[in-house]
Amino acid sequence: MGAFETISFRPEHCDGCNDCMIACARAKEQSDDVLHSRIQIVPAEGGFELAMCRQCGDPECVHNCPAAALSKDGESGVIDWDASKCVNCLLCTLGCTYGGIVYDAPAARVIKCDLCDGHPACVKACTHGALKFLTTARIYNEVGNLEDLFVPGLAGCQGCNTELIMRHAMRRIGPDAVVATPPGCIPGMGSVGYNGLTGTKVPVFHPLLTNTASMLTGVRRYYKRIGRNVKAVALAGDGGTADVGFQSLSGAAERGEEMLFICVDNEGYMNTGMQRSGCTPYGAWTSTTPVGERGRGKTQDAKNLPLLMVMHHCAYVATASTAFMEDLYDKLDRAIAASEHGFAYLHIYSPCTTGWRFPSDQNIEVARKAVQTNFVLLWEFDPQGGLRLTHPVDDPFPLAEYVKELGKYRHLSEEQIAHIEASVARNVSFVQGLAAGRPPTAAAA
Amino acid sequence: MDQTHYLIVGASHAALSALHAIRLHDAEGDITVLTRDQSLPYSPTVLPYVVSGRSKPERVFLRDEEYFARLKVKYRCGVAVKRVSPEKGAVQLADGEEIGFAKLLLATGAAPVLPAIPGLAEVKFHVLRTMNDAIGLREAVPKIKHALVLGGGLIGMHAAENLAKGFVQVTVVELQRHVLSGYFDADASGIIERIFAAKGVQLLTASRLAGLAAHVDCWRATLGDGTQLDADLLLVAAGVAPVTDFLDGSGIQIDRGVLVDDWMRTNAGNVWAAGDVAQARGFFEGERILNGILPDAVGQGRIAGMAMAGDAGAKPYAGGVPLNTYAFFGQQAVSVGVQETALDPAGVEVHKQVDAERARYLKIVLRDGRLAGIFGINWAFDPGVMWELILRRIDLGAVKQAFLASPQQTARGLMSKTWR
Amino acid sequence: MSAVLKPKSKFIVCDGNEAAAWAVAAARVELVAVYPITPQSSLVEYLAKFVADGRLAADLIDAEGEHSVLSVLQGACLAGARTYTASCGPGLAFMFEPYVRTPGLRLPIVMGIVTRDLLTPQSVWGGHQDAMSVREAGWIQVYCESVQEVLDTTIMAYKIAEHREVMLPVNVCHDGNYLSFGAARAELPDQAEVDAFLGEKNVNWHAALDPQRPMAVDPLTGGAGGTGPSTFVRYRKGECSAMQNALSVITDVHEEWGRRFGRTHAPLVESYRMDGAEYAIITIGSMTGAAKDAVDAARQRGENAGLVKVKTYRPFPVRAVVDALAGVRALGVVDRSVSFGWDCGPLFQDVIGALHYAPRRIPAMSFIGGLAGADITIGHFDHVIRRTAELAEGPGAAPGETVWLNEKD
Repeated sequence: MGAFETISFRPEHCDGCNDCMIACARAKEQSDDVLHSRIQIVPAEGGFELAMCRQCGDPECVHNCPAAALSKDGESGVIDWDASKCVNCLLCTLGCTYGGIVYDAPAARVIKCDLCDGHPACVKACTHGALKFLTTARIYNEVGNLEDLFVPGLAGCQGCNTELIMRHAMRRIGPDAVVATPPGCIPGMGSVGYNGLTGTKVPVFHPLLTNTASMLTGVRRYYKRIGRNVKAVALAGDGGTADVGFQSLSGAAERGEEMLFICVDNEGYMNTGMQRSGCTPYGAWTSTTPVGERGRGKTQDAKNLPLLMVMHHCAYVATASTAFMEDLYDKLDRAIAASEHGFAYLHIYSPCTTGWRFPSDQNIEVARKAVQTNFVLLWEFDPQGGLRLTHPVDDPFPLAEYVKELGKYRHLSEEQIAHIEASVARNVSFVQGLAAGRPPTAAAA
Repeated sequence: MDQTHYLIVGASHAALSALHAIRLHDAEGDITVLTRDQSLPYSPTVLPYVVSGRSKPERVFLRDEEYFARLKVKYRCGVAVKRVSPEKGAVQLADGEEIGFAKLLLATGAAPVLPAIPGLAEVKFHVLRTMNDAIGLREAVPKIKHALVLGGGLIGMHAAENLAKGFVQVTVVELQRHVLSGYFDADASGIIERIFAAKGVQLLTASRLAGLAAHVDCWRATLGDGTQLDADLLLVAAGVAPVTDFLDGSGIQIDRGVLVDDWMRTNAGNVWAAGDVAQARGFFEGERILNGILPDAVGQGRIAGMAMAGDAGAKPYAGGVPLNTYAFFGQQAVSVGVQETALDPAGVEVHKQVDAERARYLKIVLRDGRLAGIFGINWAFDPGVMWELILRRIDLGAVKQAFLASPQQTARGLMSKTWR
Repeated sequence: MSAVLKPKSKFIVCDGNEAAAWAVAAARVELVAVYPITPQSSLVEYLAKFVADGRLAADLIDAEGEHSVLSVLQGACLAGARTYTASCGPGLAFMFEPYVRTPGLRLPIVMGIVTRDLLTPQSVWGGHQDAMSVREAGWIQVYCESVQEVLDTTIMAYKIAEHREVMLPVNVCHDGNYLSFGAARAELPDQAEVDAFLGEKNVNWHAALDPQRPMAVDPLTGGAGGTGPSTFVRYRKGECSAMQNALSVITDVHEEWGRRFGRTHAPLVESYRMDGAEYAIITIGSMTGAAKDAVDAARQRGENAGLVKVKTYRPFPVRAVVDALAGVRALGVVDRSVSFGWDCGPLFQDVIGALHYAPRRIPAMSFIGGLAGADITIGHFDHVIRRTAELAEGPGAAPGETVWLNEKD
């Protein structure tokens, strides 16, 4: 299927003015009666919510149509409705759980959003920023015009997504920044260059594994002192963040230093030969938790670093995955904004084709499975809004679906998988509790 | 012997949904689809509209040849399966050909039930389950004056409406006290019946057809009370039953339909069934029921396809919920969930608004503060959202009064909060 | 030291820690990162107080440990800040990782070491073991004798460190307990004069983290292939040259200080009563005062004793040491720390190493005293002088024939 275009709704910006509904009714039925509108804003819990067609990827309304009147356009992603085929049986309305295709009694037929050929009237009419027209390629088109701040041809492993994270992040952050890349894959692939040659178009340095957040503290503090707004950005691995780099990270976060710290978590010291880190999950093979007659991989769970950062009351903390780029970009934007006034921490899960032992074309799929199984939870936190799951997975895949993709788990026994499942369940319960404003239960803690 | 990994018997909604689900997970495994029909796949649900002329037969196909080619599916039409041997992993066709399979889906749907009416075997009658039935009926309409429809269910009522629109005098004979009794109560059916009556359709409810015989240039029907009706077209729409005759001797368990578990699997490990042929767990009943309705066939087909392909995303069947949407003479009737009469009365409350004058009706059935059924005529709400509320067993709690006052808005709010 | 009171300068009474803080204010340091540790803690408190009082217009960062303290300064210095911190003992040990990196980055950071003995045994008192343990890391190290010298040298350190021919970090060492807490009268130089003396700040012209002139700071360098070996050698050799350049820069800066402020401190080594000295004792740091008294007493007794104090320890002023000692027949070196492999004091090691360049062999003996806060008294120095005098008459000390001054205290 082709690109999926859709209209996104940000309820926090909606004041219920109905301008979008009027615009839709006028555009589609030449009427001011909002009953004709394909977009319906509904009051809900003191705010507003949206009922409209989501242009689903695998649309149930299409499956339910006995007359072949509905079809998904492979190019635009729009679900088309063919009046000449529709028999008005309304079975499509049973297929839609979003109120996206409804019977319009005065018009005597079903109506649904068609995205106005890519120029939705409702989005144009919204003056509050509550509606946004999204296409799959949007983020790429937006950042495509921004300068790539790394040289071409960084020497990452085949299929590595850390390079993707670096390039996208820095395109968004822009050139008025100082970047710290502590020892690991990021400088290892050449971002800081060799023998006096640089791999980056912004000031970049190679701090110690231990002191990234401290060095950036000095950089940012001095520029602030002299009235220059220079962004301080860390692109660090999990070892330099969670293990030996944790003290400086914690100190900088506690002091509320203004920086954006991005942890690219590939669950171990992958650059130096795949050794265990504090972020390596239970059961994982690494070169220092090898599998042998007695050894069965790592015997401890990973530390939950992003949650530790929440406990520092950072200006912003979020987890992200390259399988969910829209989500990642939203978080990147918020993290950049937060780093102007406090400590922003972004924890991006980065499957490692080399160290985790899976085919190099499966990186995004592995990242996606991690989220779909709840092995990785996507959420964000700020002190005002608290913690919020941005991609809750109510109905997760069995964990085995994720585990079986990865060579580093090939040796796992049933008991070990059960251990990981229990850890995942505990983490889900804990994070859901935080999201709901509930104190963690004893069982969850 | 021809060998295929996936063999799908049937080509309507359950079959196509399964096929789609298989291909989402398994891009390469051989798939063969067999159908008795001589054409590309179509939906039985569209047939009344073929009869009325609203739908052109050549424009109702759900898939084209290009689709099957692109998905690398062998689509064989005009093929009937005579025997199934799960142990052998093979089916035998009517012409004796055998096809071997690793995984078999039975999606053969249902066929009209012919009631035991004296004389029925001797008269010419129509049914409406296949495209040929629809075309035959359509061709007959201009030549007739009076049609007798046996059965006031959905097919009968659809056919009656479409025949009436073709300027035919129509009489519907229904055994139950009111039409569409599977989906609506007497008040709701009353509104529907009045509209049909106003359009000149004669509805004889609580009536039994006692006999049929040839009479001059038409057929003469005798009702239970002795009334005699003459008609030049007879349509039998007295319900359907799963097509399972070809499973005799297969060892596959059959009750009223093919018995399946929550993964749509039969007692044979390599055989699944979905759609109208399947008898799967009812959402309210717990025991296995027939729930021959299109959206359920789509859902069952998907589960079967995912299970057959080993897709880990497969979720067990939530259970069949009675559902329907029914548009007639420009009106809409929607039924989602169960009538209160089908439930143990404990904890059940019913809220009903009837405005017969304006043909408006709403009934909400709650059980333990959760939605169990919602039925409307010319009343706006989102059927799919309501179905989801039932499946998720969402406690209406604090919004109960708001829901009763404004089910559409309140349900949309719950939707946004719960599964957006 | 002559005390000519310059206009606008004023006298204060303070200890060495406060004197360092006054110097930081006078040098208009812009960014200070601190972490407290005995006996440096009051220095940090003075800095914090000066910032709070508006006397020191610096950003003060209370980091979560010494490791971060120096790391913050590295970042700030690369961004363009003049920076300061102080530490000692275990704190310095903890700081070691960024510490060893600072000279290679050629960052003109000034750091006080309020010297403290290293663990173990557990101890919180003075001794040079901390500073001496990092003597090969590439920092300039100077050792002060008095409160005034702490104040003046800390200011001078910026001029030395930021000199274009140097560009190296400087440790201004003063003895824990004896100088850190010992109060004395000190002259606070006039701010305008200090400004004129220090001139333009010069911290990151060579390596910067600045979007206006983007560069990679410290890319991976070396290895066996390509330009790796030569590039690495160029860096290392440059560092060594800068260290040697520092000898003349230190001398020049001390001379200029004397001209401007009327107080002259010996830049590299100070020769005390070395005219006609037959033998000499070598001292470092605050012990020198008592040593000088002992030398004076010996002279009064008619013994030809002299004293050479080493102020600049890194770079080691080989020529100045040789010149100062060329005429003596024996020497005794007093250390406040040990060199474990040699069973002697590290200063002793350096001195006898330098004397390789002397025209003839001079018998020498290592004395170790003042460890972990112990006092080296005039009596101890009398002993040192006597043993050194005996050395001049005999065949010289054998290797490892080290005298432990506080062994019986």
